[in-house]
Amino acid sequence: MKTATLNDYKKRIGCVLEHIEQNLDAPMRLEKLAAVACFSPYHFHRIFRGMVGESVKEYVRRLRLERAAAQLSRGAVPVIDVALEAGYDSHAAFTRSFKAAFGIAPSACRGLWQIESSSGVHYGGAAGRSFRSRRQGGKMKVEIKQMEPMRVACLRHVGPYDEVGETWDRLLTQMGKEGYLGGNPAMLGICHDDPETTPAEKIRYDACLTVDEGFMGLGPIGVQTVAGGSYAVMTHKGPYNRLGESYSRLMGQWLPRSGRELRDAPAFEIYLNDPQTTQPGDLLTDICAPLQELRRGEEEK
Amino acid sequence: MTTAAEKLDLYKEHKKEYAATKKPTMVEIKPAVYLGIEGRGGPDGEAFSEAIGALYGMAFTIKMTRKFAGKGDYAVCKLEALWPEIANMEKEKWPWELLIRTPEFIEAKDLEQAAAVLTKRGKGTGVERVRLRRLEEGVCVQALHVGAYDEEPRTIAQMQELSAQRGYEPAGAHHEIYLNDPRRIAPERLKTILRQPVKKRR
Repeated sequence: MKTATLNDYKKRIGCVLEHIEQNLDAPMRLEKLAAVACFSPYHFHRIFRGMVGESVKEYVRRLRLERAAAQLSRGAVPVIDVALEAGYDSHAAFTRSFKAAFGIAPSACRGLWQIESSSGVHYGGAAGRSFRSRRQGGKMKVEIKQMEPMRVACLRHVGPYDEVGETWDRLLTQMGKEGYLGGNPAMLGICHDDPETTPAEKIRYDACLTVDEGFMGLGPIGVQTVAGGSYAVMTHKGPYNRLGESYSRLMGQWLPRSGRELRDAPAFEIYLNDPQTTQPGDLLTDICAPLQELRRGEEEK
Repeated sequence: MTTAAEKLDLYKEHKKEYAATKKPTMVEIKPAVYLGIEGRGGPDGEAFSEAIGALYGMAFTIKMTRKFAGKGDYAVCKLEALWPEIANMEKEKWPWELLIRTPEFIEAKDLEQAAAVLTKRGKGTGVERVRLRRLEEGVCVQALHVGAYDEEPRTIAQMQELSAQRGYEPAGAHHEIYLNDPRRIAPERLKTILRQPVKKRR
């Protein structure tokens, strides 16, 4: 594997941005976009969000609005036509989104030369493209760790991320009464989808508890092995609903300048303390992102 | 009060007993039930961590067994410890009793059942030594110690000063409640409630 530089990452995400701009009216498929950038679909959305500062969905929506604004400022196209082209079914919904983005009504921007969007990134502005990958917001400690494969008991959750607590409850109660909470097992969460991109009711998440060879499944609780190998590990301190911010920093700021690539396997979280007896602000979670192995001679500098 | 649907939290239920401040105060502690395990050795030794493992294993197994059976839910409390007199004693011989406060409805047969299931899973080391324990501490002097465990003597001296002023002397084992995990928190930020039962000096 060749080591990837910050410029490589920028180029690859740049290709995706270009692809989106040129296909603004086509449905955006995650697999297609990930392939354009040569990233694993497991991680593409998080790298995108981390580097661009918004999700693919938000990005597409904003670009369509900005294109609409450009069309309106240029001339006499009816607002409803512009609205339909931007993907809105009604004048009212379009007007609401438009006002939220630009602070003025669609009709008010006719003849205006320039409209400022709060994001600072503009439609058709490939030349002035800026990434959010600049280091910002305090120190970020990321460790590269070699992890052993982990055998885990797991229970699948499909639904909103903030409801995984119920699945955890079921897993811990069932496993607990059978004595599997002895010996201080680790608690892992494997997130198969990005809570900010996938519709809430479709998010797949596995609540996992490390077990030994003796565990063979228990009712709805299955067994799987979490792959070992190199992981980039960053400790997130604070409530679980702010984990997304740490993922963005890890994938958008650390990864592009790490010289490393992510492996085609899901990232996971290790919960280091007990949410039942810990203040949300003191919760600690290790975010573990699987890295591709380096070839000999490419070890850490 | 807790409703049936709400989870029982003994620390919240007895808020006044856990509202320690850096400045020592006198408090009245009501009788309380714990899971306890006794042993000897330094807190960095193997016996100590093995006892912690056995105690937590039992605490969570008992809780989850009751919860699964629909007998209600409660939060597993934090680790506590009793340290009887250890002055002039080598660290390897320090006696201690580790505790986790537990609801009063927990019975000896809950412990037996949990010990059996943990043993069946090969996680039974030390679990047979965990027993139910009732403490009646009564009047205590109590303070919140913030910092490394090694620096406790500073806070203990202030506690002794207050109880002496009020005409009390120690009566029972020094009690510590560990509010956070020393593996995760820098020593200078560790919070520990120190509690010393006292009686009126005659």
